[in-house]
Amino acid sequence: MFNVKMTDAKLLRDMITAISILIDEATFDITPQGIKLRAMDPSRVAMVDFEWPQTIFDEYNCSEPMKMCLNISEMLKLLRRVGKDESIELSLDEKTARLKMTIRGKYVRTFNMPTLEAMEEEVPTPKVTFKAKARATTDGLREAIEDASLVSDHVRIEADNEKMMMQATGSLMGATIELKKGSDALLNLEVKEPSKATYSLSYLSEIVKAASAASAVTTLEFSSDMPIKLNFEQEKEGKLTYYLAPRIEVE
Amino acid sequence: MGVNLRDLVPKKQIALSDLSGRSIAIDAYNALYQFLAIIRQPDGTPLKDRTGKVTSHLSGLLYRTANLVEMGMRVVYVFDGVPPTLKEVEIRRRVKVKKEAIMKYEKALQEGRIEEARTYAQATSRLKDYMEQDSKRLLTLMGVPWIQAPSEGEAQAAYLTKKGDTNYCASQDYDSLLFGAPLLIRNLTMSGRRKLPGKQVYIDVIPEIVELNQVLEKLGITQEQLVDIGILIGTDFNPEGIRGIGPKTALNLIKQHNSLENTMSHIKAAKFPVEPQRIREIFLNPKITDNYQLKWKEPDIEGVIDFLCRERDFSEDRVHKALEKMTTGIKMAKGKVTLEAFFQNN
Repeated sequence: MFNVKMTDAKLLRDMITAISILIDEATFDITPQGIKLRAMDPSRVAMVDFEWPQTIFDEYNCSEPMKMCLNISEMLKLLRRVGKDESIELSLDEKTARLKMTIRGKYVRTFNMPTLEAMEEEVPTPKVTFKAKARATTDGLREAIEDASLVSDHVRIEADNEKMMMQATGSLMGATIELKKGSDALLNLEVKEPSKATYSLSYLSEIVKAASAASAVTTLEFSSDMPIKLNFEQEKEGKLTYYLAPRIEVE
Repeated sequence: MGVNLRDLVPKKQIALSDLSGRSIAIDAYNALYQFLAIIRQPDGTPLKDRTGKVTSHLSGLLYRTANLVEMGMRVVYVFDGVPPTLKEVEIRRRVKVKKEAIMKYEKALQEGRIEEARTYAQATSRLKDYMEQDSKRLLTLMGVPWIQAPSEGEAQAAYLTKKGDTNYCASQDYDSLLFGAPLLIRNLTMSGRRKLPGKQVYIDVIPEIVELNQVLEKLGITQEQLVDIGILIGTDFNPEGIRGIGPKTALNLIKQHNSLENTMSHIKAAKFPVEPQRIREIFLNPKITDNYQLKWKEPDIEGVIDFLCRERDFSEDRVHKALEKMTTGIKMAKGKVTLEAFFQNN
């Protein structure tokens, strides 16, 4: 048995939006304690790690652990219909293997969608010792990434004790963005070792854009030529973290 | 031919772009035969240069490889070596099929039945020595590595993938699974559309992935049992299989009796051209080599143009375009790293 209730349906919509930018099909791990998902995008460059304890929900019923696979882009189509002050209920009909989604606002509508065969692949966590850790407002980060995206498709991120720099070099234009420690955009910066690494801007901007609705503050962790970890802090409990592989500069 | 496991294995359709940044060992003979069969003029005549040498395989190799590389894939072609002696029956059968096809083709052509002629022509393809030499020469010029397998190319490709030197094997045949390929891609070297034989109907050919672990798990069997099932249905080494036993019966029998040996006492009429244990041995312990290097380079543009355009009468314009695509793909794939590289301890 699996059925849950949430007073604010937007929470679910924003979370599914954030997940949808990396994957089309998501296999959720559902237990009496909560919901988890960890998955890589098809080209295995990025990964999303998501967790919602059952306390996020206003009602949560799960009798035994199960896996539920959903077509995320289809689900998002339905969730886009969610408006202000609407609540949502999800319940899985195990007989028909369909997920029922009831949205209550000015009126009540119930959608149903099929569940898919669950994927068994277990995705491990990248093992990285991070040397630089920055805490930024998600909006500030989003602006900086948008600036860099104007000139190139990848960006070099550098951090030392005072500041974090982003450098983008395109075939025509270039951009340098400086985020000073303690400024409005960069709340905090801890650097054990000056670090620099290059990442794909299309991934970064998609991730940050999609997650910005679900989080106001982001913690970035990275090391030279290592993956970057972006943790989008949640107001309540729960976790929304992404890993993105670096691009390695070659001659 | 290969073993017919189609009805048993779970597969997943993928987009070519999902394979960006991945490395793939391609069964070269399998790909070349596809090119020779499909790349033909409407009446079934293969592409030829001015001296009458067939160039269909070169055309396929160049344009298809360029497409894959453009998408950021790194491919290596694995060529068959000396076939296992047990394959003789199958090889003789193929020669016979081709001879018959040639006769039908010529008759259809004489009588002006062009559509039919083309269909028969597709079954006449023979991979001659010069075609293999040409293919290897072209790949080298294109900067694409190739490996000479000691015996079956599929076995060597499976070995590369098992070892982790490549992420996937690509072949149309399910034999790769019997050879233990952890991940098999089908429909990789075909173009996006394919004409159904004998009909004016085209279907979309979409690449699909078969995962060995998933196959074994779903069927509830071991790798050895999968090989035994293959032998019951029929492999290249016993093409006839056992009369009346298809994939589903074979699966049930092996699950019921555990192994080929135990099953045999229950099927009286079973006949094999050779000891079935010897066939199993080919799949479980194939001849393979560690003597190979995977090094991807940018194409030697002048070299390819010299070979294909000056010697084999290709259009310089189209060859240039294909090579440009390759160079773009190589540049894009350069520096691209997947997260998997960081799952182990650094």
